Amino acid sequence: MQYCFFSRLSLPIFALFCGCFFATSTFGAEVEPAVPLKPAELVHIGKFAITNSMLVTWIVAAGIIVFAQLATREIKAIPSGAQNFWEWLVESLYNFLESIIGRELVRKTFWFFATIFIFILFVNWFGLIPGVGTIGWGHHDASGVFHVDRPLLRGGNADLNMTTAMAAIFFLLWIIWAIQANGVGGFLLHIFGPKGETSGFLKVIMVVIFFMVGWLEVVSILFRPISLSFRLFGNIYAGESILEAMSTMVPALSWLIPIPFYFMEVLVGVVQALVFMLLTAVFTLLIAKHEPGHEPQH
Amino acid sequence: MNVMIAATSAGFTDMLRDTAETFGWNPWLFLSQVISFAIVAFLLRRFAYKPILAVLEDRRRRIEEGLLNAEKIKKELAEAQKRYAEILAEANADAQKMIDEARESSAHLAERKQQEAIGAAEQIIAKAREAAALEHERTMESMKRELGRLVVETTAKVTGKVLTSEDQRRLQEEALRQLA
Repeated sequence: MQYCFFSRLSLPIFALFCGCFFATSTFGAEVEPAVPLKPAELVHIGKFAITNSMLVTWIVAAGIIVFAQLATREIKAIPSGAQNFWEWLVESLYNFLESIIGRELVRKTFWFFATIFIFILFVNWFGLIPGVGTIGWGHHDASGVFHVDRPLLRGGNADLNMTTAMAAIFFLLWIIWAIQANGVGGFLLHIFGPKGETSGFLKVIMVVIFFMVGWLEVVSILFRPISLSFRLFGNIYAGESILEAMSTMVPALSWLIPIPFYFMEVLVGVVQALVFMLLTAVFTLLIAKHEPGHEPQH
Repeated sequence: MNVMIAATSAGFTDMLRDTAETFGWNPWLFLSQVISFAIVAFLLRRFAYKPILAVLEDRRRRIEEGLLNAEKIKKELAEAQKRYAEILAEANADAQKMIDEARESSAHLAERKQQEAIGAAEQIIAKAREAAALEHERTMESMKRELGRLVVETTAKVTGKVLTSEDQRRLQEEALRQLA
């Protein structure tokens, strides 16, 4: 059990530190990345800003809402067309999540996991549309080639602020759902309480061990939002960088070489949406399920 | 020790700041995205999932109700079939009883009617015999009278004499005696 916690904990920490080291050392040497790491700010409202990645998330959300509204405008008993597709998507997702986290939990949390999956998926795919990242404000260089400095649109998940925002909201909801399921005492017992059936002196030892392991669990829990956000950001940003690199590698074949990578990125878009949703769902399941002896304390 | 911890802490903070700066993460952009995503999630929940989830929930409820109704109807059908079989068995038993009673009753009736018919036939036969005997007697009487008259007439014609009443009576008695 202890090994499991160490292993679980060490991986994201190692990945984070490697990533930080790589990023700071590489970009510290002033190598300008082909795709900027930072989103471009389009409008300022006080200290808040509307960025090009945020604009993409709004466009995608508006698209999803409009499609859903059109699909459910005239509900038919025997669905067809858009209603059929929307029903299929939502119902498949619902049943899939129900098979993983159970009937009760899915009723409460479906809206969030569905948003995570559908929203991340379409934001990822939207980032593959030609023009995203290449239309905007820029300058002409000495040879007369136009370079975009401030793209109008940017892949939503290629912005670390966006992925950390989603992870932070999940973290907040996770705490709420955990307390709703276990109560405050049950929540703490879930993390620090001894597992398994022991008695006598062995029980005392187990209490001490699980209390210490609980702190490792706390660190592991605190790192979840970081690993979730960096994983999604890293994969999508890497995909955009690959596409950019493939497009500029041989200018004469810039229309051909990226095509296989587009297909790969379509797949990556699905996989990353699925991974984010599954991890958040499983984290929720792990804290919301009641172990024997750890009854909810409402 | 404290200096080491402070140095490590400062180094870690610097590293975090550098990392955040490198990746374009800043608290205000992060907060903007939190607000933006919260609004997007709320809008999606309200306008994208709620209508279709309501439809799916309604359909699921209808299917459950349909299945429950089907189960109920199945039970009722089974009970009705059982009741029907019981009623049929009861009716069969009643009918069989009635048939047996009718058969028994008809046998008695037939026996009685047969006896009555036999009695009536015997009466008819007796009456017929009686009538035949009377007719025979009447015929014999008539024949005797005719025979006496013929004997008298024949005797008168053969002998050529006029027979007296006494002769006629004597001849007739003689003829009847011989005939008997």
